[in-house]
Amino acid sequence: MLTTLRYTLSSLRGQILGWGLGVAALGLILVPFYDVFMGQQADFMQMIESYPPEFLAFFGGDAASLATTEGYLSMYGFSMLPVIVGIFAVIAGSGLLASDEESGRLDLIVAHPVSRAGLFWGRILAFVSASLGILILGWLGFSALLGGSSLGVTWWQMALPFLPLLAQTLIYGALALLLSMLLPARRLAAAGAGVVLVASYFLSSMAGLNEGLASVARFLPYDYFQGGEALNGLEWTSFLGLLVASAVLALLAWWRFRRRDIRIAGEGGWRLPSLPFRRRSRIPHKA
Amino acid sequence: MTNLDPTEQIVLVTQGLRKSYGRVQALRGVDLEVRRGEIFGFLGPNGAGKTTTIRCLLDLIRPDGGTARVLGIDPQADPVAVQARSGYLPGELRLNDNLTAERQLRFFSDMRGGATDWEVVRRLAQRLELHLGRPIKNLSKGNKQKVGVVQALMHRPELLMLDEPTSGLDPLMQQEVLKLIREARAGGATVFFSSHIMSEVQAVADRVAMIRQGEIVQVAETSELIRRALRQTTVRFQVPVDSSALAAVPGVSLLRSDDGTSVTLQVEGDMDLLIKALGAFPVRDLETSRPSLEEVFLAYYKTS
Repeated sequence: MLTTLRYTLSSLRGQILGWGLGVAALGLILVPFYDVFMGQQADFMQMIESYPPEFLAFFGGDAASLATTEGYLSMYGFSMLPVIVGIFAVIAGSGLLASDEESGRLDLIVAHPVSRAGLFWGRILAFVSASLGILILGWLGFSALLGGSSLGVTWWQMALPFLPLLAQTLIYGALALLLSMLLPARRLAAAGAGVVLVASYFLSSMAGLNEGLASVARFLPYDYFQGGEALNGLEWTSFLGLLVASAVLALLAWWRFRRRDIRIAGEGGWRLPSLPFRRRSRIPHKA
Repeated sequence: MTNLDPTEQIVLVTQGLRKSYGRVQALRGVDLEVRRGEIFGFLGPNGAGKTTTIRCLLDLIRPDGGTARVLGIDPQADPVAVQARSGYLPGELRLNDNLTAERQLRFFSDMRGGATDWEVVRRLAQRLELHLGRPIKNLSKGNKQKVGVVQALMHRPELLMLDEPTSGLDPLMQQEVLKLIREARAGGATVFFSSHIMSEVQAVADRVAMIRQGEIVQVAETSELIRRALRQTTVRFQVPVDSSALAAVPGVSLLRSDDGTSVTLQVEGDMDLLIKALGAFPVRDLETSRPSLEEVFLAYYKTS
């Protein structure tokens, strides 16, 4: 399992750096910008109050909450981060096993004396480690300039919103992995998990304005995302609930992987049916 | 080897192995037995079930019915034990394009616990003229195949399961791989390999099994299979003769007669009776052609 973990983590190192530095860069811009924002608060508030409430809902707050540290960090940073990091989770989760399987590499890997359990959980562990790596880099970016900022947040406090973010990453990754074990193509699994990711964000964001949506949103992961509010203390129930849900999805994926045949390249693939108006071949028939 | 329990003489056995992909029945009850220390050729046209059989034996796919034992172990119950003692070369070899050949082999070695003797790897690479430092993405199909051959052999497995091992290799390298297979057998390994290239099976295999549409149609020693096969014999006489008596010899049938001075016969099995019968004729010349394994193979698949 450790060999699998090591090699999978090594193959994910580009993604860890890319996504991690991206999140860190957001923090490096956002934290010093707080002082600029507070200096011109009146102008900003006037501008924000002119926004429609539907627009503000997407950024997880209202004009009043924006004046607070948590509100500022939520609106400009944490509200969007589950979607951003979720894209990594969907890509990495759907490809964790299906990528090697669709390319035909998994056949020879599984023929080596590593159990399916070792391979599966080794890769899961690598995915969790990669997610942690991205979020640690992000946290470092958000924390690096805290000393010179008037946000009034310590390094350790800043770590708290990253925990719900980790739970969001894990659940989308586990969902994408499960779908990749159930559906005949990786891209189909990625599309399915991607739809849930986007729908979750939109429905949960709009649920504050439309009570009808709230009943649907509570079945979606984003509804349990705490965002900047976590600076005041973690909601353990939501956090642990998402972790348990991720573990259940991963166990279902394992149950499926343990029983299924390993496909070879091109076998059992899936593609969109040809369009009825597709141009016919121009190759002339021999007389 | 003689001290071994009779069951230990059998390295690989399947009984009634069945596997379907949807409505397609890939294996319809495959019965096989491979003995310790032999090179066993598994022949069949594309889609006959060769790859499916090998993949069932390594627990890469699960059969729908029947049983299999590899090195005395049920591959479904303990696949890791089977895989630890086997070397496998897939028919559709896919490697990680981002690695060099050496990194790829180190990965496979690490998957086996890292106990590979790298002197063996270097020697194999040298014999196959494989440059280990080159990225996989820059290797030709033949050179990728060499990486596959090296990974299958490098840990000196007890059992080699090779699916089309010479696929994509030039004739010189094909010969080198066949030589490596013979050397592996000489070192105590059992080799089970699939192919549809008859000449290479004929060159190395002690026994062969022929599979057609998921069923074994023949298992025999390679030489016996050729010996038993129909052969064509042309006899030329000094003077025109009545050759109808030759057609009455058991196992002989008359294919063609030219003015009584020459006959072409089809002979099944040994030539003994025909040669004795020819003693009564003024024979000028006799020409007989032994069929290649390819002709035997084609005869099986054309007639069935």
